[in-house]
Amino acid sequence: MQDPKNIVSVSEITRRIKGVLEMGFSEVWVQGEVSNIKFHTSGHLYFTLKDEGAQLSAVMWRSRVNQLLFRPNDGMKIIVRGNITVYEPRGNYQIDCLQLQPVGVGELQLAFDRLKQKLNAEGLFDEGHKRPLPAYPQRIGIVTSPTGAAIQDMINILRRRFPSVEVILAPVKVQGIGAAEEIAQAINDLNELGKIDVIIVGRGGGSLEDLWAFNEEIVVRAIYNSSTPVVSAVGHEIDFTISDFVADLRAPTPSAAAELVVKDRAEVIDILQNFSYTMQNLINGRVQSEIDRVNSLVGSYSFNRPLDIVCQRSQTVDNLEHRLRLNIVHFQENVRQRIESFLKRVQSVDPQLTLKRGYAMVYRGDAIVPKMSNLATNDRITIRFSDGDAESTVESLQKKK
Amino acid sequence: MTTMASSKKEQTKRTFEQSLARLEKIVDSLEQGDVPLENAIALYEEGIELSKECMETLSKAELKIKKLNKNMSNKIELVDSE
Repeated sequence: MQDPKNIVSVSEITRRIKGVLEMGFSEVWVQGEVSNIKFHTSGHLYFTLKDEGAQLSAVMWRSRVNQLLFRPNDGMKIIVRGNITVYEPRGNYQIDCLQLQPVGVGELQLAFDRLKQKLNAEGLFDEGHKRPLPAYPQRIGIVTSPTGAAIQDMINILRRRFPSVEVILAPVKVQGIGAAEEIAQAINDLNELGKIDVIIVGRGGGSLEDLWAFNEEIVVRAIYNSSTPVVSAVGHEIDFTISDFVADLRAPTPSAAAELVVKDRAEVIDILQNFSYTMQNLINGRVQSEIDRVNSLVGSYSFNRPLDIVCQRSQTVDNLEHRLRLNIVHFQENVRQRIESFLKRVQSVDPQLTLKRGYAMVYRGDAIVPKMSNLATNDRITIRFSDGDAESTVESLQKKK
Repeated sequence: MTTMASSKKEQTKRTFEQSLARLEKIVDSLEQGDVPLENAIALYEEGIELSKECMETLSKAELKIKKLNKNMSNKIELVDSE
């Protein structure tokens, strides 16, 4: 008989099972086929995941159903990421789905189209959001597998084309479970690290499933949110991933990405030599033109003008002097004529001439007596004629009537 | 001459791209020919110096590779690679 102390209730054993299962099977990935799918009116999704040998109840809560990128159907092969939980009232265990991922090309293509459409509608691929790459990056971040051929190809090309750069490799898993999260985290980390001029995100070629991480929303959003420009470099030329649409530049291959982010050193050396040559030519030309300018100034009419002006002025002086001489002669002549005419006039008023014409002048002493009224009776006067004087005495005075 | 000295100081901080852009500007200014001769000569000297520096940068032949790493406290750090 069992010791009663070891007997537990149904609830108790169920609780213990729940503890063991939920602790031991959290975050598991399970692949199987969908059957008995029910989209409940509550929004939750119920189905059974099965394979040839077993089946597992599955539930996906409404909040996660809304994030599904495809619509699971009966018969579809999917991979479920989720936690095993125990529903105590029924004694059932089930998987609580966090994420569903279709298996097989058809389903992947479907998921690809859905996500692309959704993100496009959100504007994640807008040209306006795309940034130009720096012409001369100094630090290049590369998010890829550290062991793949892609990283070696990129390093070889960078080393050959423009070795004076620094490569910051963010090593990640590029395929399989968890790859997308690692890639997205690496992009965020490089942005957080800062001082990175451009980021290349990529991997070498592979199947659609191999490249799938680059079609995951988390990667696409990390690229979109990167403040550093991102070049996508996934697979071969024919492979397109959603990362290519959101990236600032799509490179057809990782090697092409390396060629796109750096210029060829030889070309840059050419540019520099061209600059030096042009500057040399320009400065030589400039100096020569200044020399020419000075020379032409020295030889110019203006520069020689001072002498010219002196010559002109001295001519003016000569001219003026000549005119002055002429003027002096004129002046002298003029003066002479005026003196002559004056003399004539002076001569014409000589009292002697008047006396000669029969007039006489009367003096009393030495003074001329111009008027009869100046005289008195018995005044002694001298009457002067042209040929001599007559002394006389005034006898009587008669005023003119 | 003080502008020359300060522009020389700035050169040390310039990235390769900024140096090239400055060079391009110098060539443009010289081409326009409207700067006084003294300035043109100063520009020319700066340009030659810059182009030498750029050549030196280009001739640094060793590609540096570092790896992003998260340390114990989940902080991002860079470690030398290869």
